[in-house]
Amino acid sequence: MSEREEVVELKQNYWSYVKRQFKKNKRALFSLYFIGFLVILALSADFLANEKPLYCKYQGKTHFPVLKSYAVDMGLAKWPPELLNVRWHELEYDSVLFPPIPYSPSNQDKYNGMFKSPTEEQRIKSKRWHHWLGTDQMGRDVFSGMIHATRIALTVGIVSMSIASFIGILLGSLAGFFGDDGLKITRIAFLLNILFFFLAIFYGFSTRSFILSDALNTSMMSFIVQMFISFAIFIGVMGIANLIAIPFRKIPWIGEKINLPVDLMVSRLIEIMVSIPKLFLIIAIVAVMTNGSLFIVMAIIGFTSWTGIARLIRAELLKVRNLEYLEAAEALGFGSARRLLRHAIPNALSPVFIAVAFGVASAILIEAFLSFIGIGVPADIVTWGSLLNLARAEPSAWWLAIFPGFAIFITVTLFNLIGEGLTDALDPKLKK
Amino acid sequence: MIISLLTFALSVNAPGDPVETMLSSQNSQGQSASLLANDKAFVEKRRELGLDLPIFYFSMASKATSDTLHRVPKRSHRQNLERFIERYGNWPEVQDYYQSLSAFRFAISDAKKDSTNRTHLINGKDALNLLFISDEPEKQTIELDNLEESINGAASLAHLKPGFQKIRDSYNKMTSNPTTWKKYVPVINFYGTDNQYHRWFFGDKALFGAKEGEYTSAGFIRGDFGISYQDERPVGSIIWDAVRWTMLLSLMSVVITYLVAIPLGVDSAISKGSKKDQIITTILFILYSLPSFWIATMAIVYFCGGDFWDFFPPYGVGGDVPADASLWVKLKDRAHHLILPLFCWTYGTFAYLSRQMRGGMVSVLNQDYIRTARSKGLNERTVIWKHALRNSLLPVITLFASVFPLMLSGAIVLEIIFSIPGMGKTMFNAIVARDYPIVFTVMMFSAILTLVGYLVSDILYAVVDPRISYK
Repeated sequence: MSEREEVVELKQNYWSYVKRQFKKNKRALFSLYFIGFLVILALSADFLANEKPLYCKYQGKTHFPVLKSYAVDMGLAKWPPELLNVRWHELEYDSVLFPPIPYSPSNQDKYNGMFKSPTEEQRIKSKRWHHWLGTDQMGRDVFSGMIHATRIALTVGIVSMSIASFIGILLGSLAGFFGDDGLKITRIAFLLNILFFFLAIFYGFSTRSFILSDALNTSMMSFIVQMFISFAIFIGVMGIANLIAIPFRKIPWIGEKINLPVDLMVSRLIEIMVSIPKLFLIIAIVAVMTNGSLFIVMAIIGFTSWTGIARLIRAELLKVRNLEYLEAAEALGFGSARRLLRHAIPNALSPVFIAVAFGVASAILIEAFLSFIGIGVPADIVTWGSLLNLARAEPSAWWLAIFPGFAIFITVTLFNLIGEGLTDALDPKLKK
Repeated sequence: MIISLLTFALSVNAPGDPVETMLSSQNSQGQSASLLANDKAFVEKRRELGLDLPIFYFSMASKATSDTLHRVPKRSHRQNLERFIERYGNWPEVQDYYQSLSAFRFAISDAKKDSTNRTHLINGKDALNLLFISDEPEKQTIELDNLEESINGAASLAHLKPGFQKIRDSYNKMTSNPTTWKKYVPVINFYGTDNQYHRWFFGDKALFGAKEGEYTSAGFIRGDFGISYQDERPVGSIIWDAVRWTMLLSLMSVVITYLVAIPLGVDSAISKGSKKDQIITTILFILYSLPSFWIATMAIVYFCGGDFWDFFPPYGVGGDVPADASLWVKLKDRAHHLILPLFCWTYGTFAYLSRQMRGGMVSVLNQDYIRTARSKGLNERTVIWKHALRNSLLPVITLFASVFPLMLSGAIVLEIIFSIPGMGKTMFNAIVARDYPIVFTVMMFSAILTLVGYLVSDILYAVVDPRISYK
């Protein structure tokens, strides 16, 4: 067996070991399956709760309105004139199949407004149209809202934690791998980098500020594109700085190498972030944004939650970086980028998984809270938090307090349980 | 220090014009005398708040922008001028154009209104207002034409024509000589200490012998937090009222948390693996995951009127008992109001801490020195409460540093739900009213309180663990 194969097999062994350990934990495994169920629920929300029929025959023609609405949203198709802006519930169909819950979250049932309880008499055609979890003041179906809100909650959790783990892993691994004496650059490069940093911000963001703000007002997609261009300019300018520094290497004083205390800088940054209570910071930032959107909320949660991950990976890399196998990699002549990416980080990732699982739970909680107090998340988006908020306005509407709150609780608990399971599975202390 | 920079950066980018909210002025309708007075009041207020100063010690801008732009009073105008600069890059010409527009604004509001020119005058003013806040060339030309048309429409407005001609000329000059290359030349401007940040954080009051009226602000570090935009009360007193409630509730719940969590954690650790331990662990885990704003909402729905029981008042902190009531009645009234919030405040952290305590205790009980202590013949009580507890307390005490910010964050949630006039509620109201001095002072305070929490836990560390000393 060659050396390479052996390494591969060891790796498989570790992860299959983790998998086995995780599977032993029945609660965590159940949570994982349940999360899978929630994901399916979120993906198929349009087919489960929708005012549009899944299938219908109208004026002699067969339609699949739910599927069609996807095509229309993507600009691939247009509604036929007889179905444009119609009240789907009131059409005279030849034959029709509605989704299990025949209401969209924003659908206002004018006969069942003003907080209809699930148990009381509802003005409906038949049991098929019953609002199983009641309605709110405007007659919107709570069940439908909750199903669609699953999608929002999971998206928020996953997107914001992706942002957080990207920043956290980047900064944490730089700090842990290089420490205070690992990264050496020449004096001239250091000076040029500082100087060009301002220039890069100037060309990347200041001169483009109007383009960026206009893009934000038109659509999220164009904003992301413009942001990407800005970052490209930023990186380009920084690249020029380092290119200019190359010829100066040979000059005595300015060409000398100095230590860059990466660890110190990152640690200070983390301390600053941690000293402001997260929720205060998030609320203040969200409040400054004039036009709130879900993506901004996710981004802000991501940008404020990376500290835990950064700390973990930093601590792990500080341990790992002095191990023999990294010295061996250095002796083999591998560059620091390769040693960091291929050798160091993969061995320090396991605590990050745990942090991410707990982080998703807390991100969902924060989003629910923000929409609960009505800051940041646009008012027309139905989320668990905004549904729960309605219960504050109408204390007798118990169904608005119980069901959305329970959904938040369950989702948060599931992610916490997964986090616990991962901790047990990955913790070397329990390896016996 | 850096936190102050951060909060300041946020407050500068905050939307809305504070002076406008304070004066809520009716602009540009009326005679030029009142218009002038209005403008004057506006500028005056800006000076009072120090908003006419440059923002920071230095700024990095392009050659195209002006270093005196921050003196333009109205925020909407300022933003529009920035757009002009972005488009044409020639500040002197932009400035000329703005000045001719402003001059014309006074002229047109001086014009006498009569039956022949009424509609023309109104149309003209509308067009002029749009000229101030739009930057696209198409819109500008349309509105310029509209303005011209309305002036030419009535004979009594003939005297405005030279003013309009000036606008036209300066506009043409601005558009015909664009110097957009200037946008790409960076320039650094230095302003010295007379800037908004310096005044906000350090103040412009002289250290010694400062007289009343000579300075505008003593600065954040000397305890002057500015005034609220809503009611012009000093932020300091508003915050002080709020901090008292938050601190009272947070400290009470921290004490309760530790008092309950430590015995419970120990108890559950001793009987590890038994039925009792399993039940306690499960309940703690559920409590830990329950979102407090859900529990609070449920509590209000079920216990405070509504269709169910009516045990507790749903909001407020009480205090509306007669002033001459006995201390006992007063206390009872407060307690009646605070029980539910305090419960919601406490249970999450209490569950978290108990779990940590249990974990710490379990690992300590497996240590060799515990076995030694037992084999020495010490009774179980001494072993657990003296030997094991002291060592397992260490991680729990350090958690104080992370529990305290949690409490403060929890404060926002529960103060809003139960209408307790603490820091969170104050901050929320300030955000809704866009009253930024309060928002950012609260943020600074919460950061300071968090740092105090860290300090306390460091000190506790040294108290509990004799190996640690700070020299």
